Amino acid sequence: MNIPATTAFSGFTSISTPPAKSFLPPPNNEKLAIAVDDWRIYTTHNPILNSVELDKVTESIGIPMPEMIFGNNGFRLLHEPSGWEITFDALNAVDGVDKTGDRDGLLKVSCSQDWLKSRQKRELESKISGVVKPFDWTYSVAYSGNVTPSPNNTNQISFEVTEERIPIDKLKRPDPILFFDNMILYEDELSDNGSSVLDIKIRVMPERLLLLCRFFLRIDGVLFRIRDSRTYIEFKTGEVIREFQTQEATYESLRKKIPSYVEDYGVYLRDPNWVSQHIPIQSVMCEKAIIT
Amino acid sequence: MEIDPDVQMEDVVESQHLGLTEEDDLSDVSHDDYRATSMIPATAGVIAELSSQSRNQLDDWITRLTDCQPLSEDDVGRLCDMAKEVLQFEQNVQPVQAPVTICGDVHGQFHDLMELFKIGGPCPDTNYLFMGDYVDRGYYSVETVSYLVAMKVRYPNRLTILRGNHESRQITQVYGFYDECLRKYGNANVWKLFTDLFDYFPITALVENQIFCLHGGLSPMIETIDNIRELDRFQEVPHDGPMCDLLWSDPDDRGGWGMSPRGAGFTFGQDISEQFNHRNNLSLISRAHQLVMEGFSWSHEKQVVTIFSAPNYCYRCGNQAAIMEVDENLSNSFLQYDPCPRPGEPSVSRRTPDYFL
Repeated sequence: MNIPATTAFSGFTSISTPPAKSFLPPPNNEKLAIAVDDWRIYTTHNPILNSVELDKVTESIGIPMPEMIFGNNGFRLLHEPSGWEITFDALNAVDGVDKTGDRDGLLKVSCSQDWLKSRQKRELESKISGVVKPFDWTYSVAYSGNVTPSPNNTNQISFEVTEERIPIDKLKRPDPILFFDNMILYEDELSDNGSSVLDIKIRVMPERLLLLCRFFLRIDGVLFRIRDSRTYIEFKTGEVIREFQTQEATYESLRKKIPSYVEDYGVYLRDPNWVSQHIPIQSVMCEKAIIT
Repeated sequence: MEIDPDVQMEDVVESQHLGLTEEDDLSDVSHDDYRATSMIPATAGVIAELSSQSRNQLDDWITRLTDCQPLSEDDVGRLCDMAKEVLQFEQNVQPVQAPVTICGDVHGQFHDLMELFKIGGPCPDTNYLFMGDYVDRGYYSVETVSYLVAMKVRYPNRLTILRGNHESRQITQVYGFYDECLRKYGNANVWKLFTDLFDYFPITALVENQIFCLHGGLSPMIETIDNIRELDRFQEVPHDGPMCDLLWSDPDDRGGWGMSPRGAGFTFGQDISEQFNHRNNLSLISRAHQLVMEGFSWSHEKQVVTIFSAPNYCYRCGNQAAIMEVDENLSNSFLQYDPCPRPGEPSVSRRTPDYFL
């Protein structure tokens, strides 16, 4: 069986938050979820795209969409005095997938070599027109949201790379959670070869908030991959820290970390939290700005 | 779901019209003869095979399962033995009479399955054909598959249950059924019993020689329906080959046979569907396997339909489900439905606040 070596994730010198593109008319059910200090948090929860919407975005983005694409879900974090805002949505995220397979290389499912071998044996090649338009079918992205410059240019806040990290100790305090949300942007079961999920979690405490946008990939028998983008805001100081972290490990190396007496090991391997605590970190990068 | 007790008698009454009684012993009938009975219109059942004791037992199990109560491990063993007796004589291409209601993936969403029978009409006075994927992902795979198998044994000519790619040892270990069995029974015996039974499920069905039904799609190694009849289906779903393709492949907008960028799995284009339907005198390929927001979706200029019968799939997609009614004249219509209210189900579990980091 051909298990590809994990790939070092490179090519990022800064955390990327390009302006949002518009793929569909904005949904009309955005909700102000909470207003705290100078910050406003808006959320939009909707079902997966319908066929008409799906056809439209498949054409404009140019690759088959993930099986569960919550293209009308969205998340918006607004600093009201300055007008600075960061948004997260599924279509801008999925637009960042490698659309040709040339950039990140194509992974294969674990049974791929057996499958290919037996296909060739049966001399079916002549019938098969080849891989239909290759693209990164794992839907791997490094998504940190979108920052769209506002008309009056108030969004020109520059983030500086910093050695500082998000203050975990402050986040470990059992402060009351004023608002919590978990929103899936997209999910694909990779035709039952694993799972690929991009989702957002946010918790707002009286003095700070943390937003985690996590890409989680499991290819059964092949590998695990996590790409986390965290946004931390300290309300009093206007300190905003963005962190981007990548983790990756082979499937086997992680499976070995589960005690041998555990019968239903799948429960561990399906849990992104467990996985994230047990696979090596490849890279971490932090940026900071003061927004007042 | 409520089953009208009068309805349950219908098969018995009709089998008496055929000169059979429930005590008739068909055990010495050769397999070929037995197979022939499946060609009798659906209204003329072979329920005579079941002793009244078995019937009562099945009715008890069905009542219990209707309340979403799993059977005991011993009863699952008995049920699976009875089901093998029925399923071993079904064909790789199981003939089915119209009218029939055709359904797609259910995935352990038991309460939605009950809703399906409310929408489509109770079995057995409505005939049903399910195209696989009863287990995994939902919280009630055990109850869902137990119920469908019990109904299959009780009303063998009213219900056809095909095999989906999730009716497999390997897939169920990853996607939930195995874990659910461990959780509900404390061991993997029930998982073993059911996955052994899955090897007996027919892989395709043919409604009135016109509508070809299966879980996934076509295979480059299958040109005619007869090619499927030649397969040995009594095995774990293989990683490759025609049986694998029938349970896994997907239609695609691009013509010809395509290979998935994943490195395994085929896609078939409209030209392939047209050729296959033409060569086999079919009017439609009916398949499941893919989530669609509206519960059903036409492709390939109505040569292929995808049916998905798990509303709000995985309790988070917000999609509708659908079933396809095929009447005596083989015209079809779709019934769409939303998820039923879920007593005690953790439908919003994903939004329970947590101190994630």
